[in-house]
Amino acid sequence: MALTLRSGYLEMLRTCWRLQARHVKIPVLNQMGLLYPAIARHQSSQSKLPSSYVPPTSLSRPPWPEVSYISSDEEERHHKVVLENVNTLLAKEDYGRLFAVVHFASRQWKVTNEDLILIENHIDAECGDRIRLEKVLLVGGEEFTLIGRPLPGRDLARVEATVIEKTESWPKVYMRFWKRHRYQKKRIIVQPQIVLRINTIEVAPRLT
Amino acid sequence: MVFLTLSCWIRNRGPDRYWKVQEVLSNARHFRGRKNRCYSLAVRAVRRAFVYATKARKIKRRNMRTLWISRIAAASREHGMKYPALMHNLVKSSVEVNRRVLSDLAITEPKSFLSLAKLARAGQQEGFGAALGDGKEPPGVFSRIVTLQ
Repeated sequence: MALTLRSGYLEMLRTCWRLQARHVKIPVLNQMGLLYPAIARHQSSQSKLPSSYVPPTSLSRPPWPEVSYISSDEEERHHKVVLENVNTLLAKEDYGRLFAVVHFASRQWKVTNEDLILIENHIDAECGDRIRLEKVLLVGGEEFTLIGRPLPGRDLARVEATVIEKTESWPKVYMRFWKRHRYQKKRIIVQPQIVLRINTIEVAPRLT
Repeated sequence: MVFLTLSCWIRNRGPDRYWKVQEVLSNARHFRGRKNRCYSLAVRAVRRAFVYATKARKIKRRNMRTLWISRIAAASREHGMKYPALMHNLVKSSVEVNRRVLSDLAITEPKSFLSLAKLARAGQQEGFGAALGDGKEPPGVFSRIVTLQ
């Protein structure tokens, strides 16, 4: 009996929509809005439902996000595919400009070819010396990135630089002043600076 | 008759007042108002300027770090991760890239940043999996999540 009543209401609603103009649709919907979604859901939900279906409520699933588990076989396959791709790329030597993240002088620099770096301390090399920057954290090109954890091997990436200039910084003023206490200090700080030009970044085509 | 005491009354002041004054005024030439011309006003303004410069050198480092952090947070949210989760998982995976370079990578090398985000995401899921275990309740525990049977 309830079903027939509800279907009767539906028919009435549909005839209303067909007869009335668009601008009157809204008050009709507001009256029947409470009933109509229930009608539609009931009519459609009768057909297909698994027996373990739980209606979604605030307690139907755990409050933490769902975790996607990846099996170790899938991970190995994925790793092999990625390795093959990267090895082919490296063997072809088709990559364009490479960039590297280098740790030097207690700072990390993101570096490419023909880059200039200013370092605020003293190095024992002379002007014009060729230097190899060893602590490379990350190497990458357009198609691939080699992320070290923390460092990839010494043989994997090679970054070479030349010392261009050894100068001093502009005279910085270090001043302290405490008002109404007759205390002031003034000191001029001049720091040695070195300019390096990054010549090349190379990646060795050997990966396991 | 020679007047000898006249020359004793002349005071010989220091020879380099002009250069001492110029030393201060040259630092004040770009100031606004009479501070860039009049010595007594300029001395105070130059002193304040030097003190602000020394303090700002320390504050600049803090500001730059917050800037890098907000940039990394924005970039990681684009990839569906949050900043604390990203940093914690990168540290757990022993990737020692610092915040300045991470923000540079997020700006200029988006693909590399995406790969780092995926690495962190994998570590996060692994952590969740290890924490959740089997997904079953231990026996004899009655919890709020009641499954229909």
